Amino acid sequence: MRRVAIVLLALLFSLPFVYLLALSLASEWRFPLLLPGGWTLAHWTDLGSTGGNWAASAFTSLALATTVGLMATGIGFFTAWRLTGHPKRQIFLHLAYLPYAFSPVIYAHCLKFFFNVSDLSGTFPGVLLAQFILAYPFAILLFFNHFDSSLRAMEDLTYTLGGSARTAFWRVLVPVSRATLLVCFFQTFLISWFDYGLTSVIGLGQVRTLTIAVFQYIGEANQYVAALASCLVCLPPLILLWLNQRFVFRQ
Amino acid sequence: MNFLTIKNIYKSFGATPVLNDISFDLAEHQTLAILGRSGCGKTTLLKIIAGLSDASSGKETGQVILQQQNITDQPAQHRGIVYLYQEALLFPHLTVFENIAFGLRLRKIPRSDIQNRTERMLVDLGLAEHTRKMPTELSGGQKQRVAFGRALIIRPRLLLLDEPFGALDVETRSAMQVLFKRIAAEQAITSIFVTHDLKEAVLMGDRLGYMESGQLYIFNNLKEFSDDERTGMQAETRFWKNFNQL
Repeated sequence: MRRVAIVLLALLFSLPFVYLLALSLASEWRFPLLLPGGWTLAHWTDLGSTGGNWAASAFTSLALATTVGLMATGIGFFTAWRLTGHPKRQIFLHLAYLPYAFSPVIYAHCLKFFFNVSDLSGTFPGVLLAQFILAYPFAILLFFNHFDSSLRAMEDLTYTLGGSARTAFWRVLVPVSRATLLVCFFQTFLISWFDYGLTSVIGLGQVRTLTIAVFQYIGEANQYVAALASCLVCLPPLILLWLNQRFVFRQ
Repeated sequence: MNFLTIKNIYKSFGATPVLNDISFDLAEHQTLAILGRSGCGKTTLLKIIAGLSDASSGKETGQVILQQQNITDQPAQHRGIVYLYQEALLFPHLTVFENIAFGLRLRKIPRSDIQNRTERMLVDLGLAEHTRKMPTELSGGQKQRVAFGRALIIRPRLLLLDEPFGALDVETRSAMQVLFKRIAAEQAITSIFVTHDLKEAVLMGDRLGYMESGQLYIFNNLKEFSDDERTGMQAETRFWKNFNQL
């Protein structure tokens, strides 16, 4: 019974991915057909001919997500560490929730003026900064709960053993928090990777990530290429998910 | 001559007073056992002595004097005072050997010395066969022994023990009390041992104190401690007398 439930759940979770893959390999798939009328590799082989665009979008997405993930995780961890002992930490904690009070598109429009003034709209650094502004508070919130009394006591113990704040940070807090750091990197990577609202408003269509490309194809009503693009968008997160499963959660 | 002198320590958290004019002395190589219920201010006092909490409260500034040196404003890492918690708090990413050697590595001592001193400490604590184990592979008592080793190996000037055996079962607790007494005598350790366990306080302390509502009473001898109704010693004695007459 348990095994059947697991198989059913696995099928349920994998169905959208199987559907996207099938759609990207379909030559024709119209209602009410349950399966595609014909199969083709044309969309995938066409990827080779227009490979430059895809590769550029994939590279942009990867560069953005990796940088945002690393920056948000690193700076977020440090910030949360300094904030946990701060007398006004509750105020900072409430401020960190603020970006999630709006939808990303509304939030992007609120920020747009500042990006225009600073000439960052439509640039890679501009989108990077915008996505960081969204991912950074997320990292702080995640790490804020991570710095519990036990970890604080471990830090204090390091001081009484003769360690400085730098020693406590690098030789105790960072290694002890390795799993949470990886989870945070994974989450903030995904925030950046799948972001559409901020990237489209701040990027002005000039910073073409894979997620932006997918939405463009959906807008052009090219469902087969959109499915193909979606497969490409899903691939790196799936690899990360597998890595996370293999190396983080098992610890 | 006093090894440790604590003068006029006050502490409040918001409007709640936690420590009220704490002053006492401690001679070298002695253990002061402080008995007190949870929330009486024992941990706050130890944290102030260790440098993990500020000794000032409002306009009042207390003093912590160790070996005739005023260390009130010195950061914790320069005091040479190690604070041991109820939990062993072993570093989970390090082996038993590396946990014990941690303080020595911070002091950049030559590798061969670290190796020798750590191996000797492992033997002293009966942990020689657990050298390469990770903390998750140890029992509660073994973890606490590693925590002791990690503290003692750097030869602290003063050791502060905050109910270090509180989380252990009765037998392990008893074995750890014997181990601590032996090591304290061998290494001539000066320490403050706080506990809420009457028997443990009497067993561990060369001197005895009782803490209640932020005030500390130091007794000159065991009789004074025993005669004071607040310590619970008389109630305990009465209980066992009545028990034996049943």
